[in-house]
Amino acid sequence: MAPALCAICKTERANIKRPKNHARVCKGCFLTLFEEEVHHTIVSSKLFYPGERVAIGASGGKDSTVLASVLKTLNERYNYGLDLVLLSIDEGIKGYRDDSLETVKRNAVQYDMPLKIVGYDELYGWTMDQVVQTIGKKGNCTYCGVFRRQALDRGAKMLDIKHVVTGHNADDVAETILMNLLRGDMGRLARSTNIVTGDASSDVKRSKPLKYAYEKEIVMYAYHKKLDYFSTECIYSPEAFRGTARGLIKQLERIRPSAILDILRSGEDMARLVPGESASSCGCKGKSKTPAATATEDDGGIGGCGSSGAAGGNEMAVMEKQLRENEAAEGLEVDVSKLSLAGTPAESETDGAVPLKMNKNSKPVTRQTLGNCKRCGYMSSQEICQACTLLEGLNKNRAQIQI
Amino acid sequence: MASSTSPPHPASEAIPPTNTTTTIATTTTTKPCAKCRSQPGTLDSRGQLVCPSCFQKFISQKCIKQIGLLNKDVRSSSSQSLSAYHSTQKNSGPPQSSSRRYFLGLSLGPSSAALLELLNENVEYQVSRKKNPPFELSVVHREREREKVEECVKRLAGRYPRFEFRVVYLEEVVGLGSVDWEGLGLGDFATASSSTTENDATTTTSTTASKLRRLFDNLPSTTSRTDLLRLFTRHLLIAEACKPPNKCHALLLGSSTTALAELTLSETAKGRGFSLPWQINDGVLGVPSFSSSPTSSSARPANSSPTSSHTNKPKAKTSEDQGILIYHPLRDALRKELVTFTKLAGEPTPIAELLPETDLTTTAAVVSHKDLSIEEVMVRYFADVEENYPSIVANVARTTGKLMRLFGGGGADGVEGVGGDASEDDEERLCGLCSMPLDEFGDERWKGELGEDSYRDAAVTVEDEGEKKMTKTTKQRICYGCERSIRV
Ligand SMILES: [Zn+2]
Ligand SMILES: [Zn+2]
Ligand SMILES: [Zn+2]
Ligand SMILES: [Zn+2]
Repeated sequence: MAPALCAICKTERANIKRPKNHARVCKGCFLTLFEEEVHHTIVSSKLFYPGERVAIGASGGKDSTVLASVLKTLNERYNYGLDLVLLSIDEGIKGYRDDSLETVKRNAVQYDMPLKIVGYDELYGWTMDQVVQTIGKKGNCTYCGVFRRQALDRGAKMLDIKHVVTGHNADDVAETILMNLLRGDMGRLARSTNIVTGDASSDVKRSKPLKYAYEKEIVMYAYHKKLDYFSTECIYSPEAFRGTARGLIKQLERIRPSAILDILRSGEDMARLVPGESASSCGCKGKSKTPAATATEDDGGIGGCGSSGAAGGNEMAVMEKQLRENEAAEGLEVDVSKLSLAGTPAESETDGAVPLKMNKNSKPVTRQTLGNCKRCGYMSSQEICQACTLLEGLNKNRAQIQI
Repeated sequence: MASSTSPPHPASEAIPPTNTTTTIATTTTTKPCAKCRSQPGTLDSRGQLVCPSCFQKFISQKCIKQIGLLNKDVRSSSSQSLSAYHSTQKNSGPPQSSSRRYFLGLSLGPSSAALLELLNENVEYQVSRKKNPPFELSVVHREREREKVEECVKRLAGRYPRFEFRVVYLEEVVGLGSVDWEGLGLGDFATASSSTTENDATTTTSTTASKLRRLFDNLPSTTSRTDLLRLFTRHLLIAEACKPPNKCHALLLGSSTTALAELTLSETAKGRGFSLPWQINDGVLGVPSFSSSPTSSSARPANSSPTSSHTNKPKAKTSEDQGILIYHPLRDALRKELVTFTKLAGEPTPIAELLPETDLTTTAAVVSHKDLSIEEVMVRYFADVEENYPSIVANVARTTGKLMRLFGGGGADGVEGVGGDASEDDEERLCGLCSMPLDEFGDERWKGELGEDSYRDAAVTVEDEGEKKMTKTTKQRICYGCERSIRV
C-alpha cells in the first residue's frame, strides 16, 4: 500500500490520524490546524483585546503548557498584542509541585514569559500538606479545589491582571455537561458551556480558549511540538482522575469521535432552553449577550486534583446522597414527581455551595446573586465564601491541636 | 455482563441487558411489609421492604397519576385540534363511543408490557363503573422475528380482549409522508411500492425490505443504524396513531424513568440536546408532512403517485391537526421496577410469561454487532446507575423535563418559549428525518464557533459510495443530530 498523503497539503505523508475527526494529515499540517482552530475560537468569541494583559493559569501540565505555547504562537502570528504572563499556584504539596513548578519555570524561559507563583500559604496560611496533616487524606481535594479556584483570581489581582485563561479542553467541558445533567443542575450546565465565565460584576474574567480542543489532540500537539510538560496527577487523589462521567466520555469518543463536540453542541443548545438563561457564547452573531456566569463555577483547570473538581471516583455516590437528602427534605418522592408535571415551585434552593439540588423553579430561575465574602471580600454567593468557611474549620482545628 | 451485545430497543423504551437484576429478595427472614404491615415484605422498593401487592399498587399509582393528567390534557384539547377528526370518526369509525382512543407503542419488552397490563387494569376498573374507553394497541417489529412477534401478539390479544392489536413492520416506513425522503436523497423511498395487489404483496415486501437493508448497510456506524431505527420506529408509531379515520387522542409510550434518562444522555451525546424537551416531555408533537399527496401525513400513498416534482417546497410546517399528543405514563417508574412488575402482575399468569422468551427488542436484524452504539453504552451505564443510584436516574429525566421548547406553544408545563434569539423567525421548520424542530440559530452559531468546516473537508469522505448522494442534499433540511447520523 502506498503511503497515504496528507489530506491538507497533499505532499507530506499523512502520519497522523486526528482524534477529532479521523482526518489523515501530516505533522506540520496537524500543528497548524490545531493552532488555527484555537485562533478561530479566540476570534469568534472575541476573547481578547489588543494590549490586554492575560494570565495563563499554568500548572506545568499538558493542557496549560499547550495553551501557553499556542497563545504565544498565535500572539506573534496574528499580532494579538497580548501581554502574556504565566501564573502558577503552589498548593504546598511536597514532591508534587516541586517538579511541576520546575517545569513551569522552564516554560517561562522557553516562552519568554514572566512567571508568578502564588502559594497557598501566602493566600490562606495553609499549605496542602498542612491541610492533609490536619484533616487526613480523605476529602482534602475539596480544600484543594476551593482554594485553587480563588487562588488564580487572587494571584491575577495581585498582578493587576483582569483576565485569566485556563487549559480546560473539550473533554473537560463535555464532562461538566454530563455531570450537570446527572446532577440535574441545568443552571450550572448552562453556565458551564460558556467559553467566558465571570461577568461585569467580577473582577477577573476567566476564559478557556481550548474549549473545543480534544484532550487527545492536546497530548498529540504537545508531543509533536516537543513541549516540556509535567504529567500531573495529584498524589493525594489518585481516584480523582477517572470519574465515571469521564469514563463515559472516553467510551463515547471511541464509538463516535465527534461525540465530544456533539455533547458540547448539545450543552450549548440546552443552555438556551434553561428557563431564565439566555446565554450564547459566540461573539459572531453580534446579538449574543455578555456570557453570564459566575467565576465560582470554575475550577482551576490547571491540573491537580482532577478536572471537574468533583469528588472524583465517588462523585456518583455523593450526588445520590445529596439527591436523597433533597427528596427527604421535600417530603415524599411522590410529591417530587408531581412537581415536574405541575411545575409547582417548591421552596427555592438555599445551598449554592453544593448545588446538587435540582432546580425546582419552572418559572425563570433567579440566578444566585453575587456578593462579596464578608471576611475576605472575594466574590461569593454566600455571606462567607467557601474558602473562608473551610479555613475557619481548619483554623479551629489548628487551635485545638495547639492547645 | 461480559459480552452480551444486544443493542437496546430503539423505540419508546430500551430494554435492559438480559440478566437484569430482579429485586426479589432471597432473604428467608420475613419482615413485615413496610406499607401494609400485614404481608411479609419480600421486595425492595426504593429502600423499603414491601409485599408484592403493595409493590404493584405503588407502580400502578404512578401510572394512574399520569393517565389522569393525560385524560385532562385530552379533554382540554379535544375541543380544539382534535375536533376535526371527531367528525369523520362519526361516519366510519368502529363501535361508536364518546370516549378516548389511545394508542400504545408496544415493543414486547417489559416496560411497555407493564403499561399494557396497567392500562388494562384501568379499563377494567372503568368498565366496572360503566365506562368504556377503547384502547388500540400496536406492535412495531421487523420481519425477522415475524412469527415470534405474531405468536406473542396473539397471546396478548387473548389476554386483553378489550384492546385491538396491530402489528406494524419496519418496511412500512417506506412511503411515510413524515419523512423528507426527497430531501434525504432517497426519492425512491417516497412511495411504498408500485403495486399493492394481494398477489404481489410478498415481492413488494421483499423489495422494500431490501431497500431498507441497503439503506442501513450504508450508514456509517452502529450508532447511526440504531439511531435511524429508533427514528423510523417512532415515525411508524405516530403514523399508526394518526391513521384516519380513527386518529387516536394520544400515543402512549412505555418509557421508564431509566429509559428517559438514557435517552437524555444518548441524545445529548448525539448532538440532539436542542430537541430534548420535545422528546422527553409529554405533550403535543408536530408531525410534518413532506409528501405531495393531499391526504394527511400518515396516509401512505397506495398507488404510485409521483412525488418528485414537489421537492422544492417541503411542507414541513405543522398545523394543529397534524400534531399528536405523546405521553409517557411510566416516567416515574424505574426499569427494574417494571421488570419486577411484569413478573408479578397479570391474571391468571404474570404478564412476563406472555412475552417472548428471547429478547425480541434487540436490533440484531439491522444492526451489526461489530461495535456498540451510543444507546447501548447508555443502557449499560444506566443499568449500573439504576442499581446503585436510583435517585440520580430519576433526577435526570425530571430535570430534562424542565427544559423549554423554544418554538410553538407546546412548552413544558405551559412554559412559553423565551430565549428571544430563536423566536424572531417563528416559523417552525421540522427536520426531515427526526421531525424535531430545526434549530437554525444554533446551527448558525455553531458554524461560527467552529469555523466553516475547515477541518471537515479533510475528514474521511470515501468509505462507501452509497451515502454520498444522501449527504449532498441534506443541508439545512435535517438537524445537526441527524446529519451526524447519516453523514459519513
Ligand atoms: Zn500536510
Ligand atoms: Zn472569603
Ligand atoms: Zn404490603
Ligand atoms: Zn433530525
